[in-house]
Amino acid sequence: MAPIVQCMGLTKRFGSKTALNQIYLNLERGRIIGLLGPNGSGKTTLIKIMNGLLTPTAGDILIGGLRPGIDTKYRISYLPERTYLQPGMKVMEIVQYFQDFYPDFRVDRAYDMLARLQIQPYERIKNLSKGTKEKVQLILVMSRDADLYILDEPIAGVDAASRDYILHTILQNYNRNATILLSTHLISDVENILDEVVFIRCGNIILQAGAEQIRQNEGKSVDRFFREVFAC
Amino acid sequence: MLGRLMKYEWNATWQLLVPANLLIVVMTIFATVTVRLDVFDTDNEGIVFSALIIMLSYVGSMLVVIIGTAIYLIHRFYTSTYGDQGYLLHTLPVDKHHIIIAKVLVSTAWVMLSFLLMYMSVQILFNEEGDIFTQIIENVKVSAMLWAGAEDVSVFAIIMTLIAGLSAMFARTLKITACISLGQLSNNHKVLSAFGIYFLIYIVQKIVNGIYYVILGYINTITADWHYGKSWEYVLITSLIYSVGFYLVTWYIMEKKLNLD
Repeated sequence: MAPIVQCMGLTKRFGSKTALNQIYLNLERGRIIGLLGPNGSGKTTLIKIMNGLLTPTAGDILIGGLRPGIDTKYRISYLPERTYLQPGMKVMEIVQYFQDFYPDFRVDRAYDMLARLQIQPYERIKNLSKGTKEKVQLILVMSRDADLYILDEPIAGVDAASRDYILHTILQNYNRNATILLSTHLISDVENILDEVVFIRCGNIILQAGAEQIRQNEGKSVDRFFREVFAC
Repeated sequence: MLGRLMKYEWNATWQLLVPANLLIVVMTIFATVTVRLDVFDTDNEGIVFSALIIMLSYVGSMLVVIIGTAIYLIHRFYTSTYGDQGYLLHTLPVDKHHIIIAKVLVSTAWVMLSFLLMYMSVQILFNEEGDIFTQIIENVKVSAMLWAGAEDVSVFAIIMTLIAGLSAMFARTLKITACISLGQLSNNHKVLSAFGIYFLIYIVQKIVNGIYYVILGYINTITADWHYGKSWEYVLITSLIYSVGFYLVTWYIMEKKLNLD
């Protein structure tokens, strides 16, 4: 079976600045993969290209053998780093919205998670705290049975207790045959759930390896290895 | 998916625009009562002052609603398509054609509704006798006559005048979507670029109109049939050409050149 993500010479430039520099990358199915790098390393740019939100300058990208388009959007469940919910909508309206557009959306799963977090369905998005909005988005994304979950900085900017809940939610709800691509610079919080890591720096992939392989070969945690590799 | 997109576009806009249009209705009632009661003929300064305030509020509310509606719809298109909400919109498994059509249809419907209400409001306010709808049809006929430069027009010409007006409205909406989309091609100053592009297109359209008038003037000197109005044929053809052009530009940028910040 073809990898879920294939990047072939993928390049993205913004004016004179190169955000991604001829990336070659394959991501296999059924793995939890950490896309790790410091701020401004190109993580979000790569993720946005996967989701068809950015157009590559050169090279090619395939999601399940297809270029980003309508068919790949059925397969990807994407959590961006920002709030994309319409402030005037109620939580139950946005749940309905997802149900209307994504055939793989599981309403019962969404309401179950909302209830566990005591988020009221009739609450308007604009009345929720920033952290609760992020949790609502995560619930919506994880309530889909997608082939690829792309989570951009899902634990940045939330407290430690929330981080545990978010990671627990991800692990409890994802489709087991799917791949999770999790972008973060907070390695220690996610290290234990990762099967594989991809290090990215200045738009270049500098390492792709199994998390266990790093621990065995380097004799240290992925977090410590990351700190050494990206030491200023 | 088009129907669903339109449903959510409508739901997102009605909460603000229904009250705005209701304001026109309420202000029309107040203004009509004020005019019909002939309160300006009284010697009581307090009543005259109050009537003046009502009439000024009427005019002010009309301006606020029509300008506010336009600004709100432009802002809504920008934020929901190229702002944060664009992250959701552009990751939906829907055709970009459907996204554009849904937004343009709903926006144009709101603009039409506001114009229609405002037009009827003025008719009600100043129509002292006769059927209001007959008066409206008569006014459309006069507009068609002015456009055609003729003393009388057929029912067909009246209908085509209405269709041409409608096409012009769609072309205007699509011009804004195209300008905002073209502005996205800029790495910096996307909004400023959109304004600049709008201004450039405006100039080009004025030049096209100028050429039309020069040709029309030349024809008039030959036929000695003087009229300088824009015919419904001209408005319809140019609106259709502009609409197709602006639509394709918007679609191309969304489909092939999307770069969300």
